This record gives sequence, C-alpha cells and structure tokens, in this order.
Amino acid sequence: MTVEDWLAALAAELHRRRIDPAEVVAEAAAHLRDSGRPPMEVFGPPTAYAVTVVDSIRGTAPPRDRGAPRLQASNISKRYGRTTVLTGVNLSVHAGEAVAVIGGNGSGKSTFLRICAGLDSPDEGQVRLRGTIGYCPQDGGTAGFLTPDEHFVLVGAGRGIRRTASIAQGRTAAAALDWPRGHAAKPARHLSGGTRQKLNLVLAGLGDPDVLLLDEPYQGFDNGSYLDFWQQVWQWRDAGKAIVVVTHRLAELDRADTVLDLSPRNQR
Amino acid sequence: MLDLCVLGALAHGESYGYEIGQRLEKSGLGPIAGGTLYPALLRLERLGLVLSDWRAGTSGPARKYYRLSNEGTATLRQASADWAVFVSNVTAIMEVP
Repeated sequence: MTVEDWLAALAAELHRRRIDPAEVVAEAAAHLRDSGRPPMEVFGPPTAYAVTVVDSIRGTAPPRDRGAPRLQASNISKRYGRTTVLTGVNLSVHAGEAVAVIGGNGSGKSTFLRICAGLDSPDEGQVRLRGTIGYCPQDGGTAGFLTPDEHFVLVGAGRGIRRTASIAQGRTAAAALDWPRGHAAKPARHLSGGTRQKLNLVLAGLGDPDVLLLDEPYQGFDNGSYLDFWQQVWQWRDAGKAIVVVTHRLAELDRADTVLDLSPRNQR
Repeated sequence: MLDLCVLGALAHGESYGYEIGQRLEKSGLGPIAGGTLYPALLRLERLGLVLSDWRAGTSGPARKYYRLSNEGTATLRQASADWAVFVSNVTAIMEVP
C-alpha cells in the first residue's frame, strides 16, 4: 500500500464516520514525510486508525443512569413441531445500547427477533417492552407498486406522522444511507435489492421508535453503505435508542455493545 | 500515562507531532507509534489540556503545533507531584534491606 493510497483510505474512513478528514490526514502525511517510515508501521491499518481517532475526538460516552431495560426477553423458548429452535434465551437491552445477535443458520436469530417484535409468540417465556418499536425484516416489508415516498407516508401515518413530515423524515434518513439519486419516485419493484433494504431500514426508524429490531438489514449493501448502516446504528444509540441487530458477520461484533450468541451450545 | 508524558514533553515548549515523538523517544520511553501518539494529542486537545494551531513551516507544508493550556500546565504539575509520591512509596517498599 503506497503512502497516497493509505492516506486516501484514511480520509475515506474518517469521512464515513462524519469527521472532516483534512487535518488528521495532513498531520499523518507530515509525520510520514518527517519519519520516512511506512504508514502501516507508523499508524497501522487505516480503518483501525480512523476508529481510534474518532474515539479520541468524540470521547467515550459518559456512563448514564440506565434505568429499566427498554426490551427484556426472559427465558424464551420456541419449538416448531419436534424442532427446538430456542431454549431459555434471555436478553435485556437498555436505552443507548446496541446488541448484536449471532448464531449459525437455523439457530433461531430471526425467530427470536420476531418474538421480540411481537410477530411470533414464544412457547415459554415473555417479552417486556417499554416504548415504541421499529422492526426491519430480513427481506420483504416493502410494497412493489408503491414509491419510497408513498412508503414513508403509509408507515408514517401508522405512527401518527403527517404526510409532509413523513416524506421529509424518510428522505433525510435515506440520504444518510447513500441512497441513489432520483429514486424517490420509482416504484419499489424497480429498485435494486440493496436499495429496497435501505428503504426497509428507513421505514423501521420512521417516527423515532424507542426500540429498533433489525434483521440483517444490510443484505445487498455495498461496503460503503454497510459502514453508513453502522453509522446510523451508532447515531440511534447516541440518541438513546435500544437496538438489536441480527448479524452473521462475526468480524463486525466489536461495533456492538453486547453480543447474544444463539448457537445451540450457548443456549442454556 | 502516555497522555501525561505528552504533556511533559510539551512543558519544554510547543512542538508538532513528529518532534513530540522524538522528545519522548529521547527521554527513554522508546519509539512511540504515530497510531498511539496522535490519538493521545487529540484526546488532550478535546479535554482542553493542549491547544493547537496550524502554521506554515519555513520549508515544507504546514504543521500542527501543540502547546500546553493553563489547565494542561496545572494538570501536569499535579500529576508530577502525585507521581513523585507514588514512586517514593514504591521505592521504599521494594528496597532490599
């Protein structure tokens, strides 16, 4: 990796995290010139360095009084016929907390999330919810003949938001996810899979719900949008939302505050 | 700890990142990676312990110069006193009779 490539990668990573890269990059460039050492040796990989820089600039959030959990799932069990999907699963999510739910295919991640959302009922256990909820399914969830703006109005209406406010909120949230230009007027069936998933994610956040349940919502996202997705999750977290993200990307677990592993051996 | 050492390095006068690293290395702390040094400087800046400004050098591009704020000087003085007490306590307890 040349110095120029490394600096460009650092700039992109900072930009994605909403930090103006100019000064940090200029300072790193000056250091590399002075020292004559390769950037990977001096600063390490650009992504890791960007994360450290962002933490240093923003500071770690002060500990707050967490109060009662927004979402509390206690001793959840679920069977389909003879197949046991979930056994005694517990999870508490507080305001300002992001939890990653992991586990292999068929470990019941989506089922667990649907139970938390109230779309499925558990055979045993209970879910307590304090506040409003936004749910983003793994797929589906959009109507092919409606445009994104019509989706915003429809879902907004269900959450008591006026038409113009819904559209404004939806468009702002979509723009933050690198939404392609001029897509607000296209019916959803003409959008790419990735863009439809972005629409799903925007709909989940419409009306400012207290709890967000997101089921692998970034399928079809390119890498840039994927980073924007986590940016959105952190913004929600900083705004005091309780967030649950189902994911299979183990490499990204450090982005969440807590991890719930649903692999069978981890279920008690 | 590194943050306090950086403050200490700036007690000898304002400086820029690479030179601060050199000062620390010369005082026996070994080489400090840029990936550690600059985040420390950003942290100190956020806490208001150091101030910075960009200045064009006589040769080459602009550099970001750091200097201690009044608060930084006070913090360093306090930390230095605390450290002296700590070291003398540890020295006393580790002394082989």
